[in-house]
Parts: sequence; structure tokens; C-alpha cells
Amino acid sequence: MRNSNNKPIQNFILNNLPIFLLVCTVIVFSLFSDKFLQLSNFKNILVQASSNIILATGITFVLITGGVDLSIGSIMFLSGAIISKLICQNHPPILSCALAFVACIICGLLNSIFISKFRILPFIVTLAAMYFWRGTGLWLTETRALNLPDNFTRLSSFNFLGVPLPIIMVFIIVSVCQWILSKTVFGKHLYATGENIDGAQKAGVNTSRIIFTVYLISSVCAFIGSVISLSQIGALSPTFGLNKEFSAIAAAVLGGTSLFGGKGKVFPGTLAGALLIQTIENGLVVCNADPYLYQIAIAAVILFAVLIDCTRQIIAKKQNIRLIRPQDFS
Amino acid sequence: MLLTIKDIDKSFFGVQVLRKINFSVEKGVVHGLVGENGAGKTTLMNILGGYIQPDNGFMILCDKPYKPKSPRDALNNGIAFIHQELNLFNNLSVAENLFLTNFPLKKPCFLKTINKNSLIQKSKTILEKLDLNIQPDTPVAKLSAGQRQMIEIAKALIADAKLIIFDEPTTSLTQYEANVLFKIINQLKLSGVSSIYISHNIDDVLKICDSVTVLRDGEVVANGQSSDFDKNSLISHMLGRSLDKFFPPKKNIPKNQILIKVKDLSLPGVISNISFDLYESEILGIAGLLGSGKTELASLLFHGASNLSGQIFFQNNDITNLSPAEKIKLGIAYLTEERRADGLCLDRSIYDNIILSALRNYARTCISFIDYNKLSEDVRCIANKVELKAIKDHSAPVKTLSGGNQQKVVLSKWLLTKPTVLILDEPTRGIDVGAKHEIYALLNKIVEGNAGILFISSDFDELIGICDRIIVLSRGEIAGELSKSDFNNSRIFELASKRHANEKFK
Amino acid sequence: MIQVSSGNTHILRLITGFLKSGSFIFWITPSLFVFLSIITPGFFSVNNILNILSSSLPLMILCTGQTFVLITGGIDLSIMSIVALTSIVGSKAITLDQGWLCNSDYSVLIGIIIMLLCGAICGFLNGIIVAFIQGPPFIVTLSTMILFSGIAIWSTMSSNIYNLPPAFCQIGSSLGLSLIFTILIIIMANTILQRTPLGKWLYAVGSNIQTSFISGVPIKPILVFTYAFSGFCAACASILLTGKLETGSPVLGERMLLDVIGATVIAGISLYGGRGKITWAIFGVLLFTIIDNSLNLLNFSFFSIMITKGIIIFIAAFLDSMRTKLIKDLS
Repeated sequence: MRNSNNKPIQNFILNNLPIFLLVCTVIVFSLFSDKFLQLSNFKNILVQASSNIILATGITFVLITGGVDLSIGSIMFLSGAIISKLICQNHPPILSCALAFVACIICGLLNSIFISKFRILPFIVTLAAMYFWRGTGLWLTETRALNLPDNFTRLSSFNFLGVPLPIIMVFIIVSVCQWILSKTVFGKHLYATGENIDGAQKAGVNTSRIIFTVYLISSVCAFIGSVISLSQIGALSPTFGLNKEFSAIAAAVLGGTSLFGGKGKVFPGTLAGALLIQTIENGLVVCNADPYLYQIAIAAVILFAVLIDCTRQIIAKKQNIRLIRPQDFS
Repeated sequence: MLLTIKDIDKSFFGVQVLRKINFSVEKGVVHGLVGENGAGKTTLMNILGGYIQPDNGFMILCDKPYKPKSPRDALNNGIAFIHQELNLFNNLSVAENLFLTNFPLKKPCFLKTINKNSLIQKSKTILEKLDLNIQPDTPVAKLSAGQRQMIEIAKALIADAKLIIFDEPTTSLTQYEANVLFKIINQLKLSGVSSIYISHNIDDVLKICDSVTVLRDGEVVANGQSSDFDKNSLISHMLGRSLDKFFPPKKNIPKNQILIKVKDLSLPGVISNISFDLYESEILGIAGLLGSGKTELASLLFHGASNLSGQIFFQNNDITNLSPAEKIKLGIAYLTEERRADGLCLDRSIYDNIILSALRNYARTCISFIDYNKLSEDVRCIANKVELKAIKDHSAPVKTLSGGNQQKVVLSKWLLTKPTVLILDEPTRGIDVGAKHEIYALLNKIVEGNAGILFISSDFDELIGICDRIIVLSRGEIAGELSKSDFNNSRIFELASKRHANEKFK
Repeated sequence: MIQVSSGNTHILRLITGFLKSGSFIFWITPSLFVFLSIITPGFFSVNNILNILSSSLPLMILCTGQTFVLITGGIDLSIMSIVALTSIVGSKAITLDQGWLCNSDYSVLIGIIIMLLCGAICGFLNGIIVAFIQGPPFIVTLSTMILFSGIAIWSTMSSNIYNLPPAFCQIGSSLGLSLIFTILIIIMANTILQRTPLGKWLYAVGSNIQTSFISGVPIKPILVFTYAFSGFCAACASILLTGKLETGSPVLGERMLLDVIGATVIAGISLYGGRGKITWAIFGVLLFTIIDNSLNLLNFSFFSIMITKGIIIFIAAFLDSMRTKLIKDLS
């Protein structure tokens, strides 16, 4: 079999790279500032990252099927636009959110139909959707920023047994999604579809239904992410949700999800990836680093993770020459 | 009678592929189906397996009309099809692959949660039945080719089929694994499950099949108990002519100049102490069964590897550590086993495929203009030599060509580089009889110059018909060498299966 | 299944040939041009056409570079960040407010060379990671997009650089100069693609990388070159954009990435690699530009234009998948 047993520690690190990087980052920043290593700070990180974690979770499902969803940032914006517009016109928040939810479902359905039924490349469908929904959102808000009233923003600071609501949402969604991925038939079919869609079809898996569902999941996550983010920021600017799809994809890939499909976990993978990105920002802020360095630091970390992951795959491929009679050769 | 097929016709785009096919399979019987590639075996089985619909005719299964609309339909009716191309998912475990569409569920069932304990238990049962020492949790990516084939077979057993179609099941199996398979097919027979066994290995077919059908050019040309046939008569039916007239006459005389000298080539776990010489004007055959290391040897000669020990010399120069591009520049060509995977760019035109390796010779630097006049002239010349049949339009994408013509395109690509050494790995695989003959004639002509050919194949009759010398590999080592006067099919087989009989399977 | 009777084969062969030949972008763009000339007031005037031409040039250069990358089966998301980075590097060098070269006579020339080098080096970095580490292009160029943009913003503290020498700005603002500049680049790119071994190798790598490797194609140098060329093109586009704006900006052309991808995809250049021509990309860019222009003339708001672009990309992709299906059925 594989002679990968020589360096167990190295393999453990490589297989759990995102968590390892997260731990390293925490250690590094703790050394630079005592304000970093505090429970309240970690709570902060989790709260700030909550919207991104949920978006990244949704897109993990799409990535596992080998597809991509470039429209979640725009769907987030549309949802935010609907909520803000309606609340500012004094409609009840619940109704506004419900309508925004329906809008997100429609967005997801359109993506799903065109990708799974008409077989158009996900990249193109979601690229078009990205333009389309942001334009729609901008039309709704007339490209103006909107401020949200207090009763909505209080949502994000709502505590349940001392745990802020965003963290509870993250916990629920991450657990449910990871459970779906690892313990249900849908999850196994998802991985099979991502690994080899024709083979899965031949084996009797309903691949159209799987692909149909994942784009719905990602737009629902976009909705939840938009509600949390909106209540945290308290206002909707025309750049709300801009480029969020890219940071969600980066978080998922950092967490071990493969862009080619068939591989990826929400917990610990994507969660660790999103937390890593947020931790770096938080750490830089706490250490009073130059705010302009944040972007460079994030990019450097993602590049570093990519370097390590790809190098590992190259090494694994080299060791992977199918041995004919491994047990009979010295 | 378990299955009756009556008067089945099928054509594709105006070409008749099956013509009035009649055959039947009894209950508890192993029925062999043989024929050349292109004879219609796959099409017939695809109809039986529900992938395509026949144009005419009908089928009766267990005394009821049988008209499957999909593979699922066929499976529900009790017909399982084990394909040659494995359909396993590398990112899932063995157990998950086995039960992908019928996982045991935990209550409440609507949540579709997998009952892991039950899954492992059921998997263990099947794996033991097949004498497989694999943990159900093992990721499929870690299995060997032979183990994967066995898992495919396990999938069919789980489906509780009445009739199992085996399409070339032993391609990736060791002799030991093949014997386990035969034992299982026998057990199935005894418990009333019939099998249709498709294979190019006539010896196996005669060994385990009770009855056999021969297809040729879409028609049934022979049908009966296997005791009524012997190897030669089966092959005659398949080819429509006797074997001896099949290979073109050879006019080349191997010279004394050594083109390639291989010395003590070893790669742990793959090949061990391989040494041989290839002479000018010679076709040297490398014979072996699957798992012998012959394909790996060809690949290592061309690609090299990091912990490869030993040396390779080309005309007295050490080329062991050269890159493939450098070897091509020296005049070495390598035709791989799987032309569709790494021999051709399927979406590119015939022309673009042919020119790919030789481009450097038609432009001064990689950003200089290509001399299209000279290039096109040479391409036309080569295409004629190779007899690329009826392809006037070289701008057609290669994927539209037949297997034989595709292989000719690959050959053209290499011939354009004016090679001195050609390493050919299964060059006539998946090619119809007529095209095979043309390729043999072409190879003979190539070595009438000063070129040398390393011809790797698992078809011993082919090697006997075309080579000047044959080296036999077994389990990564050289088991023997035969000169022309000693060419003998059973002798080659004996050498190739050396030491297989007593091996233990871990 | 379509029944083919012998009487109709000639016509069908014509249709198939037409559908198969390159891209339908060749007749969509002119058709749309004619259509818009009729329904949009002020569209078909010399002034407006020159306007369209002038605003399409930077996008054409960017798409030329992106076409090379797409043909090899990759994608370059970092081009706009390279545009921004080269913009501020060049501006810092030649600005009359104490730029590095402000005392030199050849400041503009050297500044341009610095920008081109900078673009090529950024692209080179992308290429090295994709070729040698075998990182997936999407995520590699995504992270370098963030990296280069971060460097640009950090080094100027988010501010712009003004007061650029007029000679430099001429290249971007003068239609004649920018047209010559663009045409030179397009001709060079097209020549490489159609008439040199490098071009053939690009298509081979995009079509089947294993076959290319075994056939002796130098995969790694080709990939490095491709991304370096894309970075080079980004730098060229930056020269035009910076000149036109007369300002070096670390967020130059932020919104253009989608247009680059949209234009190349709409032109029929496959995301999977192995297919595409520069001429297609040019028509794709023209399509996008005339849509932008006409919608502006019709007083569509900024977001309506976004919505329309989305719909157009979508229709193009839909038609293309129908076309592929039709070809399959006919042959």
C-alpha cells in the first residue's frame, strides 16, 4: 500500500492543515499582544465571522459537486435590500425577512433550474446571476445607502444564555450541515456526484436532484448570512456583500474543500478556514498593525495554504505508483 | 430457459451494428460471448442492460417479456451488468460504494440517516463471501486495481441478480483473483444464477463456460456447447479466417547494432533487474499478463522515476535521466496504452494531433513561424503511408474517428518525428481486424529501415506473428527470452504465469 | 433524432458548418450593432462610434491576455489587481510630483517599461505557482488578486497619484495612439497563437495536458509564459486606463473583471480550455461595449445596465449549449 507511515506527525498536520494554521495564528498573535488571548476577544472573532462562516458553509455544498456559485454576494445584497427597504417603510421586520427569504429561494431556484435542467455551466449561470441580482438590488435601493432602525440591529446582540445569537446560528447551521454531509444518504450521494457525475448517474444516484438542491442550500445560507451581517452593520451600502463569494470560496478551499469536487467538510474544514481569515483580521487590529496590511496578510495565508496543499498532492502522487506485489518485494 | 433474445436488430446512423441476433441462456449456466472488437458484443449487452433500445426484435426473461427502459429497470428485473470500466468513487469507502443506492437506514427513515453498524456488517458479509481481506471502512482510493474489480463484482452480488453480465472481468485481476472469480461464478451457477461471460481470453472462456456464442460483424456465426469447440475453431469463427494468414510477411533482418540497452532497471515494488537490448531493424516483443509490469516498464523507459535504479542507453549514450521531451528529440517515440487518455487531444483536429510532437522541427524557435508548406506536405505523406482511411478532411476532430483510425493518428504523430526507436504499448487494443493488419504491415515497413520497435502486448498470438524476439515478464522480472524458432504460445504463457500458482493473496 | 433525407443534406451541411465555425459572436455583434443603430438615437454617429472604439480598447487588451489563459484551461482573476498595481508603480515612477524618475528625460519611456515589467512579474508569479506547485488557477489567481490589490492599496495608503506627464497621458487619451497600441498587441498575440509552435502548444495543453506532456510539449514553461503574458496585457491596459484617467489609482478598473470574463465567455471561448480565438474575444468585447454605450445613451441607470449584462451573458450561454446540442444531433 502507500508508504506514508514514515512520518505520522507530518501527515497529521497535513491532513488537518486548516486547524493547524488556525492554532499557529492564535499562538503568533498571542505573543504579540495580551489583549488577543482573551475569551471576549475570541467571542468577538466568532461573532464577526458568523456571516462569513454561514456563507462559506453554503458554498461548500456547491463546491463538493464540482460547481461554483458566484452569485451569493449579490443574493445577499438583494436580500439585504429587500429587508432594508421594507423596514424603512415601517413594515414589520418578520414580514420583511420572510419576503427576502422568498426572494432568495427564487434566486436559488433559478440557478438550480438552469444548471441542473438546462445543463449550462455553473460558472456562467452564477456569473450572470451575480450581475443580475446586484443590479436588481441597486434598482430597489436606487443605489442609496439605507440605515436600519435599532429594533433590527438589536438582533445581533441578542444573547441566549450569554451566547450571542449569531454564534448560536453558526452552531446550529454548521452542525446540521456537517450532519447532512457525513451521516445522510444525501451527503454520500453528494460526494459521489462530485467525484464522478456520469458514474453516479449510472449507479442510480439522482444527480439532477442533488445539483438542484445544492444551489438552493447556498442561497438560503446567503439569506441567513445577509440577515446576520445586516443586523451587525446596521446599514445597507451599495457595496454590501461585494466579493463575499470570493471570500466564502477562499474559506472553503482553505478548509480543505477541493475545487474539483468530491472533497470537503463543513466541520472542521470550512469553519476553520473562515475562522482563520477572521482571526488574522482580528489579530492585526488588536496588535495595532497597519490596517492596510490586512489584505496582504489574508492573501499570503491563502497562498501559503494552497502551496502546502498542492505540494502535498504532488508528493502523494509520486508515492502513488500502483505497486504490483507490494508484499513480495523487499 | 432464463433469457431468450430473438431477432434483435440495431443500427446507429444508418450503420447496421446488430443483425437478427438470436440466442438464449438457460438457468444456472455460464454462457460465453466472444467476438472481435466491433463485432457487436457491447451493443448487444447494452440492449440487455437497458442502456439502449433495439430497433427490432424482443427479449423474454423468466417467461415474461423484457423491455428495460434504463439500467435501473434492468437491475430491478434481476440483470446486473459488471462493466469493464470500473464505476467506483475514490472519495468514498468500500462499504459506501457497495451500498450507494441502498444504504441501510436508521429510524426515522424519512431523515435518510445511514445506519453505520448495519452498513459495516452487511459489507463484511459480502467481502468474506468473495474471500477479500479488506476492511469496509477503507477508502476505495487505496485499493489495488484487482481489488477494485472485485468490489465491482461484489456490487452485482448484492443486487441479488438472476443474470450477471461480466464484461472482460479479468483485465485487472491476478491469476489468483481470477481463480476466485471463477469459483464464485461456479457457485452462482450452482445456486441458479446464470452468467454471460465476455472475454478475449479464449482459454478462460472454454474453461468456465458451459455454452458459447460467437459474434462477427453483428451476426451470430456460431452457437453451442463449449465442449463442441476448441480454441482454434473459436478464433476461426471470430475472425472469419484462419490465424496463420493473419499476419503480413516480414522482410526485415535485425542488425547487430544495439539501439537501446537497458541495464538492471529496478523500481521497488514494480520491476526488478530488467536488462535487455533492442537492435536495429528489430521488433522486440515484451510479453506478459496483466500485473507483469510490462506497461510500467514502458512508462519508466520514457518517463523515468525518482527512485529508479539502473541505466538506459540509447546508441551508447546514457539517457536514464533525460526528460521525455529530450528523449523525443533523440528519436524515441512512446505510444501509450490508453490513446484516448494520453495519446490524443480528442477535441483537436486530426491535423493538429499529427503535428503535435514534431512542431519543433518546422520552426526555428518556439515563437518563429511554422513552415506550413513543408509541414502539410509531410503530414499528407505520412497520412498516406499510414493509410488513414477515407479521411479527406484533416480538420475533423479526432474523437469522431474509429479506434483503428485514432491509433493511426497517434502513430502518424510519432512517425512525423522520424523516430529511431518506437515503444508501443498495446498498439492494437480496441482496433478491428482490418486495421490491425494494416498496422502490422506498417510496423514491418518501419523496421525495414534502421528503426527498432519495442512491442508490448498481452496478446501472445500477436507477438508471435509480428516479433523477431520475445522477452517474457512475470511479476516485474524477466522470466525468459524466446528467439523466433522457439516461438510457442503455451511456452510464453508458461513463462508469463511463472510463480503465480503458489502466491498468497494478502 | 433528426431524420436526414438526401435532398436536404446539402442545406444541413451548410447549417452545420456555419454553426460549427468558430463562434456565433461573429453575427450577433454586427446584428446587435445594426439593431441598436436603428432604435437608439445618437448611436450611429461618428462621435459615438469613436467613443465606443476608444472605451473598448483597454478591455480588448485585457481579454487578449485572458484568452491565452482560458485556452490553456485556466483562468486569471488577478488581472484587475495587476492593472491597479502597475498603475501606481508607473505613476509613482513618472509623476511630476517628485516621482522616482521625474528628473530624467526618458521618464515616460522608462516608466512604461517598468509598468510592463511589473505586470509580467506579477503574471510570472501566478504562472510559477500554477505550473510548478500545480495550484488550481481559480484559487491561485484569486489569492494573488487579493495580494496585489492589497500591496497597491497599502503602498499608496489608498490614495491616488496625480500630476502625470502629458506625454504619458496622450497614449491613453488620444484615440489614434491607443488604437495603434492596441492593434499592435492584438496582432502580436494573434500571430503567436496562429502561426507559431507556442500557439499550437497552448491549445494542446488546454485540450489534454497528459497527451501534451507525453508528446514532448514543454508544459511548465508554457503555463508560466501564459500567465506572464496575461499580466503583461494587464499592464498594457493599465497604461491606457491610467493615461485616460490621468491618475494612478490603486483601485483602477475594479469593476472590469466581470466584463473581461463576461466578454470572453460570451465570445465562445471555452472555460475548459482548448478552444478560442483572439478574433472571437474582440467581437465579444465589442458586444459588451456597444451594449454599455447604447444603454447609456438610452439613459438606463447603472444598475439596469448590470441587469442587462447579466441577461445577455446568460442568453449567450444558453444559445451556445443549444448550439452544441444541435451539432451533436445533426452529425
